[in-house]
Amino acid sequence: MLRGAEIVLQCLRGEGVELMFGYPGGAIMPLYDALDGSGIRHVLTRHEQGAIFAAEGYARVTGNVGVAIATSGPGATNLVTGIADAKMDSVPLVCITGQVRSALIGTDAFQETDVFGVTLSLTKWSRLVRTIDEIPEVIAEGFHWARSGRPGPVVIDIPTDMLKAKKEFSGPVKFTPPARPAEAKADGGFTDTIVAMLQQASRPVALVGAGAKLSGAISQLRRLLDDLNIPTFATVHGLGAVPPEADYYLGMVGMHGTRAANTALHETDLLLVFGARLDDRVTGEPTRFAPHAKIVHFEIDRAQLDRVRPCDLPVIGNLADTIPAFQAELRRHSLPDFSQWRSVACGPERAELDPRGLAQPTIRFLDELFSRLPENSVVLADVGQHQMWAAQRYWSSSPRGFITSGGLGAMGFALPAAVGVQLAKPETCVLCVSGDGGFQMNIQELATVHRLGLPVKMVIIDNKYLGMVRQWQQLFYERNYAETDLSDNPDFVDIAKAYKIHSFRLKEDAMREFPVSSETGDQIDRFLRSPEPELLVFDCAPEANVFPMVPAGAALSEMLLEDE
Amino acid sequence: MHIFHIRYRNTQGTLMRILNAVSRRGLDMPSVHAAPAGHDHQVTIMLEVNSKQVGQLYREWYAIADVTHVGSGSAQAAEWAGPHPVAGVCIESRAAARA
Repeated sequence: MLRGAEIVLQCLRGEGVELMFGYPGGAIMPLYDALDGSGIRHVLTRHEQGAIFAAEGYARVTGNVGVAIATSGPGATNLVTGIADAKMDSVPLVCITGQVRSALIGTDAFQETDVFGVTLSLTKWSRLVRTIDEIPEVIAEGFHWARSGRPGPVVIDIPTDMLKAKKEFSGPVKFTPPARPAEAKADGGFTDTIVAMLQQASRPVALVGAGAKLSGAISQLRRLLDDLNIPTFATVHGLGAVPPEADYYLGMVGMHGTRAANTALHETDLLLVFGARLDDRVTGEPTRFAPHAKIVHFEIDRAQLDRVRPCDLPVIGNLADTIPAFQAELRRHSLPDFSQWRSVACGPERAELDPRGLAQPTIRFLDELFSRLPENSVVLADVGQHQMWAAQRYWSSSPRGFITSGGLGAMGFALPAAVGVQLAKPETCVLCVSGDGGFQMNIQELATVHRLGLPVKMVIIDNKYLGMVRQWQQLFYERNYAETDLSDNPDFVDIAKAYKIHSFRLKEDAMREFPVSSETGDQIDRFLRSPEPELLVFDCAPEANVFPMVPAGAALSEMLLEDE
Repeated sequence: MHIFHIRYRNTQGTLMRILNAVSRRGLDMPSVHAAPAGHDHQVTIMLEVNSKQVGQLYREWYAIADVTHVGSGSAQAAEWAGPHPVAGVCIESRAAARA
C-alpha cells in the first residue's frame, strides 16, 4: 500500500521527472513528506512565482516538461503568472497544487481557492483529483497534454486527503489519446502550391518562430532556408533557429526588430511563416502588416491561424513533417532568381544606423558581454528595454540559447528562470540580463542562487526607471513620467552582498571608449568566467531608448530609428 | 445569428473551456444548450459573430483537448476539420496558384 503522495511521486518519476521546483505549505505537506527517497530532486525557491519561472527555465532550455509544486490558496495563485506565461510561449509545464481536503472543498476553507477555475482559461488541460484511484491516469494524461502538439501548461489540483490516503499501486500508466479530427496531419497537397507561389513571387521572405525549435526541426529548417536563400528573419522566440552568419538572415523582426527585417517584411509579396503566432508585436498594425503579401502559415496549432491576419495557405502539422515534404517538392523545381531582391533586402543601405552602438553605451556594454561569452552560453533576458537590446544584439546560433518571456512579457521572469536553466545545464555559462524594475520583482531568488551555489551571471541594467514604460511616456505621453521613477532604488551591490553573492558596479563611462580598455575587458572576462554566482550592476543613462521602434498602431515600415 | 454544435467528452472543465472561448471575446451567448449525445456530449451555442470570429472560434474549440467535433450550418464546416482548413480570406485557390 502506498500513500497518494508516494503514488504521485512515482508517477512523476515514470514521466522522467528528475527535478522539480516548489514551495511547501499546509495542503501539499504530504507530498513533501514523501519526497525523501523518491528519486526526484526538489529545489526550494523563495516564492511560488520563482518556482514556476524556474520550472519554465528548465523546460525552455531542455525541451522537457518542467514541474512546479505549490500549496493551496495563495501558493496556487502565486503560480498563475507563470502558467499564463507558459501558455503564451508554449512551454511544457505540469503544476501540482495541494488543495484543502475533499470534505472542505466549496466551503471557503482556510487557504482554499478554486485553482481549477482560476487557471481554466490559462491552462491547456487541468484536473481536480477526486479519488486516489485516478491519480496515475490524471498524471499520465497531464504530461501527455503538456508535451504534445503545441506544448503548454497543465494544472493538477490534489486534495490533501488524496495525498494521505493509501492504496495498492502497480506502477505508472500510459495515456493514449483518442483520435480526433483536430489532429489531422497535413497531406502532401500543399507542397506544389507553395512552389507555385514561390515561382510567381518576386520578393519572398521567411519568418521563423518558436515552433522551429519546439518541433525539433532545426536542422531540416536550416537546410530548407539554405535552399530557399531568401531574406529571413525571426521572432524573439525564433532567435537562434537561423544561423546568424547566414547572409540571408536579417535578425529579429517586429516592434523592435531590425530595420532590414521590418522593411523586407513590409515589402514582401510572399511570406512563409514557420511556427510563429504572428502576434501584434510581430505584425505591428495588423491591417497594414505585409500589405502586398500572400501568406503561407506552417503551424501546429490551428487556433493560431488567422488570429491577427488571414493567411492564404495554412499548413497544419509538425514542422518536422511538413518542412521535409516541402523541401522534397522544392528540389524538384527551379525557382526564379531572387538575387536582386536579396541584395536589396540584405544590403548595406538597410543596415542599422549605429551598428557599433557607439552612441549608446548600454549597447556597447551588451556587445562586449556577448562577444566574450563562452561558446554555447545561454542568455536570459527579463522584460523591458534591456530585453529588446539583448534580443537585438545577441545573435545566438543555438536554438535554445536565448530565453525570455515574450508573449506575456512577465517582469521578474529572468532571475528564477536562470536558476532552472543553470540546474539543467550545470557546465554552461548562464547569463541573466535584467532591468532594475524586473530584478526587484523576484529579487528573493538570490537566496536560491546562493543556497545552490549556482554560477549564474546576473546583470542589472540600472537606469533607475521602468525604462520601457518611460520610453513610451517620453514618445507618446509628452514626457509625463508618471510613476516610473525608480531613483530611490536600493544599492543592488549591497543587496547582493547581503545574500553573500559577489557583486560590482560598472559605470557607463567605461563604455565610451572603443575598444574598451583592457581593464574593463578583464573585469568582464573575470565576471563571465567566475565559478561562483556574480552580479554586475551597469549604470545606464536614464533616458536611453530602444530603437528601431514601431509605434503602436503603426505599420512595420513606420519605424522610429532614433531620438528626434 | 450563427448556431454552433460542439461535441465533446464530458470531462472536467471541457464545457467551461468551450464557453470561455466565447466569453473571452466579450460575445453574448443568448442561447446555450448542453446535453448527452451518444457516447459524448454536445453543446449548441447561438452567437452573433463575424466571419473572422467564426474562424477563430472553430480553431480555438478544436484546440481544446476533449472536443471531438465542431459543426455548424455553414457549408464550409467540413473544410475546417481538414489538414488545411480554410483561412478567413482566401485570395487565391490552390488551383489558381498552380496555374
